[in-house]
Amino acid sequence: MMWRENYRVGVDIIDEQHMELFNNLGEFIKLVQNKTLDWNDRLEKAKETLEFLQDYVVYHFDEEEKLQEKINYPGLDSHREAHRKFKEGIKEYVHIFMEGGFTEDKMQEFSAKLMTWLIMHVGKMDQEIGRYVREKGVEI
Amino acid sequence: MKAEYINSFYAAAKDVFKLMLDLDVERGDIQLVEGLASSKDANILLGVTGELSGNIYFSFTKPMTLEMVKIMAGMEMDEIDVFVSSALGEVANIIGGNAITNLSNYNYKCDITPPQIIVGQYKSMSMTNKQAIVIPMKTQIGEFNISIFLP
Repeated sequence: MMWRENYRVGVDIIDEQHMELFNNLGEFIKLVQNKTLDWNDRLEKAKETLEFLQDYVVYHFDEEEKLQEKINYPGLDSHREAHRKFKEGIKEYVHIFMEGGFTEDKMQEFSAKLMTWLIMHVGKMDQEIGRYVREKGVEI
Repeated sequence: MKAEYINSFYAAAKDVFKLMLDLDVERGDIQLVEGLASSKDANILLGVTGELSGNIYFSFTKPMTLEMVKIMAGMEMDEIDVFVSSALGEVANIIGGNAITNLSNYNYKCDITPPQIIVGQYKSMSMTNKQAIVIPMKTQIGEFNISIFLP
């Protein structure tokens, strides 16, 4: 289980989407790390999960930005920029996969980076949204 | 001894460990060494460019590396494979990035270069600066070192 309580932002809709992200990323990592099976037998499922994660990250970031707009969140611009860089990081790997194939090593590298980026983003930047909502008593 | 380097890296390591691993970090006694004296099982080398030029070298033992990645991934890890070493490299990269931001508060404007991951004890490495400040860091799951090779 990747999700930990200290990732909780305190805004239900965001937390639910984060849990969905962490759960799927956890499944992705489990699959990539399951060395009892040959890589070719895991590849299709890994590609599918990767695609889901890619789409879900974009969906979640969009939703989060909409919510920040709605509550007049003062950190929207820098948050949007962080989302852009995050998506850029994913895109770079999609490019690597397209060029060099979906190798086990590259998938391991990508899943590890995605894990750290997500933990860092949710653990730091997203917590600021929760603090703002609590301090200002914002209704969601 | 450059107190601002030590403060910047210690504060960054403390913050990142708390945030990513929910662990407290305590600093041990600072050592000044010639060359590379603190190589462990898993090491990350970062380059520093800009107003300060040099390297930062992180050294972790294998048990600590596996435990750190286990905390983040929520599952057991039994070897330092690409997944584990990449995750460790990113943690070091994030600490380095935060430390560089802290250093900018002391008016040093620098950048870091992407992490180079070295698995296994490293015997010879040529650093831009020969003398290093080694900061031993203690956590509940083990100790690691950050060696600062900066002028």
